[in-house]
Amino acid sequence: MKSHEMRFSGAGGQGLQLCAKIFSSALTGEGYHVSLSQSYEPTSRGGLSRADIVASAGTPDYPLTTDLDTLLILDQAAAEASEGLIRDDALVIIDPRRTKKPPKGKFKVIELPLSATAIALGSERITNVVATGVIAELSEDIDLEIIENALRSISPKKFLTLNMDALRAGVDLARGAKAA
Amino acid sequence: MTGQTSQNTLDSQDTINIQGNHACALGAVAAGCRFYAGYPITPSSEVAERLAKELPKVGGVFIQMEDEIASIAATLGASMGGVKSMTATSGPGFSLKQENLGYGMGAQIPCVVVNVMRGGPSTGMPTRPSQGDLMQARWGTHGDHPVIALTPGSVEEIYTQTARAFALSEQLRIPVLVLFDESLGHLVETIALPDVAEYENTVRKWASGKPEDYKPYRPDADGVAPMARPGDGYRVHTTGLTVSESGFPTQKSIEVDRAMKRLFNKMEINKDLIESFEDVDCEDAEVVIVALGIVGRAARMAVRELRAEGHKVGLFRPITLWPFPTQTFRKLTKKAKSFVVAEMNSGQMILEIGAAKQGKQTVCGLNRYDGDPISPSQIINAVKEVLDHE
Repeated sequence: MKSHEMRFSGAGGQGLQLCAKIFSSALTGEGYHVSLSQSYEPTSRGGLSRADIVASAGTPDYPLTTDLDTLLILDQAAAEASEGLIRDDALVIIDPRRTKKPPKGKFKVIELPLSATAIALGSERITNVVATGVIAELSEDIDLEIIENALRSISPKKFLTLNMDALRAGVDLARGAKAA
Repeated sequence: MTGQTSQNTLDSQDTINIQGNHACALGAVAAGCRFYAGYPITPSSEVAERLAKELPKVGGVFIQMEDEIASIAATLGASMGGVKSMTATSGPGFSLKQENLGYGMGAQIPCVVVNVMRGGPSTGMPTRPSQGDLMQARWGTHGDHPVIALTPGSVEEIYTQTARAFALSEQLRIPVLVLFDESLGHLVETIALPDVAEYENTVRKWASGKPEDYKPYRPDADGVAPMARPGDGYRVHTTGLTVSESGFPTQKSIEVDRAMKRLFNKMEINKDLIESFEDVDCEDAEVVIVALGIVGRAARMAVRELRAEGHKVGLFRPITLWPFPTQTFRKLTKKAKSFVVAEMNSGQMILEIGAAKQGKQTVCGLNRYDGDPISPSQIINAVKEVLDHE
């Protein structure tokens, strides 16, 4: 069981903690030990916000991220926050609409219209769920069905359809990117 | 210890994903805490939130008070009423509690005070981690006094050490502090809740015998005076003033001397009970890293990587920070040529290491106070710099 580090970053209020919660619950279901950490600013919206996962076979020595395998950036506020922590073979996913200057390095940066897709579905607020679909599809060791179940279990009933649509839209975006 | 992670594979049936602050709340309830008074403050608020849900389920009482001063006052009052009691706070809230903390120490009232450390001084950085309160925990309240402060380094340890804090507090009639930083308080880890029955079963000594012979501050051989359970018919007078064994104020030098010795003797007699630490490869280490809390986790990773490169490096992690386990530290680090004290402040624990070391070893500080935790690679670099100079 290889350990895996993920970071969901952007601006406060974008639902990044929820992203991390969904993935940590899925990874726990697959038998991983999960260390979930967070950083946010005292404002209720805006400012740098991030949620990190270290998934490992047992209790890790250090539970915070040092070598990111997967990085999501939803806002320019988070573009520089992961400098020096991104592996060369990392998967970096950004939303170009809100991240004009993505980080530079040997890693692969995938630009996908995450918030534009969410807006087309009816609300920018589900950008985080679109991103969840993208990451679930692009990550080899995460089962999409487990992510679907995790989302279903924490989604309020009146937003369930919208959330599931957003997840599927994210999966389609990722499949399109893989095909291209 | 070998390998990147512990060898125990987790059975998901027995484990939960839980946040440090929630583990603190559950550890308290498991140890028998039945009273909490607090005033919410980031990053400790989840301790209160969880206890507001948990305490009513077990017949306990949760009160949100008007401020931090009232919170610790209510906590001390509930404890005098015979209930295991706790309050939790952060940053400026810990400053506000200092006077009554001293009251608890002087009047020897058991209670647990949790401080989830954030950036300071003043309101500082409410959502960022720091270890800036280590010396405040030792000397924050005025006057000469002993203190016990526990500094857990993982979510599981937050659970067990909070529970243990109650046991030490009840057994030794002293407020016990539990200190951990924001990053641990908000960290979620997958853990199996350990059995803390021994801490739950540790209860305070109650007075027995004839009420007319009872002296509320006359210590037994273990240095601790039995408390009178309210309603049992014993007369008790409690005050912040210096008291004789009778509990009434005194300024007679012989009685004052005895009163101060009462506070300190119980610490010396029960030293082995209070002391706790983690030793990683200290025995043959030429460089010993001293770190606690989340920095101890980074240091453990650093030791593993440096050992893999053939360097003789170890880690001494105090779990009981105060009183500092000086004798044990000396014994374990006999071979050390240098110490690297890594802490998220401008240099507090390093003062204690300077005093505790026995030889001519060099002591180097690795300090970070920008609101981010010290990383394993920072520690590795600091140790290598020391090795290069040897």
